[in-house]
Amino acid sequence: MTTGTAPDPALVHAAFEQVWGSMLFTAFEPWPADAVPELGPGVQAQIELRGDWNGRIILTCDTEVATQIAGAMLGAPAEEVLPDDDVHDAVGEVLNVVGGSVKGALGGVMSLGLPGVTEATSPPSPDSSIIISWYGAPVFVEVVPDAA
Amino acid sequence: MRALIVDDSRAMRRIVGRILSDAGYEVLEAGDGQEAIDVLEAQAELPALACVDWNMPVMDGLTFITEVRKRPEWRSITLMMVTTESEQDRIVRALAAGAHEYLIKPFTGEALMEKLDLLGLLPVPAGDLS
Amino acid sequence: MTISTTSFNFVREVVRAESAIVLEPGKEYLVESRLLPLARQAGHPDVDAYVGELSTRRNPGALKLVVEALTTNETSWFRDSDPFTALRQSIFPTLAKTRSHREIRVWAAACSSGQEPYSILMTAQDTPELAGWKIDMLATDLSQEMLDKAKAGEYSQLEVNRGLPATTMVRHFERSGLNWKINPALAAQVQFRQLNLVRPFPPMGKFDIVFLRNVLIYFDLATKRDILRRVRQVMAPDGHLFLGAAEMTMGVDDAWERVPAGRSSVYKVREEQPTCAR
Repeated sequence: MTTGTAPDPALVHAAFEQVWGSMLFTAFEPWPADAVPELGPGVQAQIELRGDWNGRIILTCDTEVATQIAGAMLGAPAEEVLPDDDVHDAVGEVLNVVGGSVKGALGGVMSLGLPGVTEATSPPSPDSSIIISWYGAPVFVEVVPDAA
Repeated sequence: MRALIVDDSRAMRRIVGRILSDAGYEVLEAGDGQEAIDVLEAQAELPALACVDWNMPVMDGLTFITEVRKRPEWRSITLMMVTTESEQDRIVRALAAGAHEYLIKPFTGEALMEKLDLLGLLPVPAGDLS
Repeated sequence: MTISTTSFNFVREVVRAESAIVLEPGKEYLVESRLLPLARQAGHPDVDAYVGELSTRRNPGALKLVVEALTTNETSWFRDSDPFTALRQSIFPTLAKTRSHREIRVWAAACSSGQEPYSILMTAQDTPELAGWKIDMLATDLSQEMLDKAKAGEYSQLEVNRGLPATTMVRHFERSGLNWKINPALAAQVQFRQLNLVRPFPPMGKFDIVFLRNVLIYFDLATKRDILRRVRQVMAPDGHLFLGAAEMTMGVDDAWERVPAGRSSVYKVREEQPTCAR
């Protein structure tokens, strides 16, 4: 059961902003309000927070965006083709660092799970997501509490 | 000098590994604490430094550090946690278990170099990088 | 020719991550002009080629040069480490023997976002000879924005990662959301004031220690000379001046003498002022 307060969207936003700048060397751009975010076949990464608050932070983006995020994080030369495993691993680590920052900011007694990355099956709802613009493509971030 | 990077993320091992090899280290890698112990046991020449993530499968970083500190023959290894765990009490726990330094993810390359400088493990002094 | 958006964005994020300074769009020219000498030095025909290599290599030494070329503010704790070792091992203990009133006056003359004055105070607390002493710390900067940040004493995760030993961090900082806040008792020991080094100094009394690091490099020779002359007037007779590692008084103001302090050196006012050249 969830007892603590869910992480504030502003906090999650700020944690992503910090990671975007320092790990991906890319400015964090919010998705423009007037554009419709569309998602192709994609990748979904999630990390669990357990303790005073129980739930997950989930990141969903399309495969091409995930590959670019991994490339930016690794400083991979443009000609390097990153295998899916490496892309999943890099996106998982991005979310791991965001999860740790959020957990630390929440305080209290909490623990962090290990990141899990799968193929995205269904697109997240834009209404319940923070959407980041990755050079014009959407990256969805959801904060999902466990069902009570 | 040699450095061991213990992190379950290959991406993170590659990032830290590149910084350390640019600084003149020969880099060893392990994906969890148990693998790191196996790597250490197989070495004739111990690494001077181990950069250790906290949350990993099989054996976590805190347990790994505790295990390393139990072995007198591994006393010479300088242990630095490199992790997204960032609560004050976590840092205190890691230091109490025997970690010499603690670097919180996300970090910049320069922050890692400055930590090595603090530990006296920078082959080239920070001011002379140019 | 201006640099590509990709290059500019990469440099902007590196600078933001390392220094918390944001290069707004429109600063492409600044980036281009400051980085061109570095690009040439590294053997690249232009800044784009240089930044392209930086973004794939991510060599911290090279990135540090880029940040320093684009910022005038320092962001590390215990920057260069040697001055702080010298304070703890020799300068503070020596002052402790000669100051009967148990107070040391320190001026951090270009304190930026506060890391330097706070590092000096933390060093004083780590000096056994100064147990129970008061450090009267004045920290000044040209930028009111920097002073406000310094006074608030709140630093991002990226900032506290920079050169701050973990034991020092858990002793002097508390978590505040994503940031870390310095112990208010420590912050209250610093008097922050805006000051332009180029103008005559307000009445400040005499200082035992002055930190004037990595700021003279931004002035021409005449201004450097004038600043060093006026700093001399606010030094206690046995006071110590710290300059940046690449700075010196020689040939600028020879009324200073360089004395070794640990692995680095500090400057003291010569006891006998040199007479004019014959």
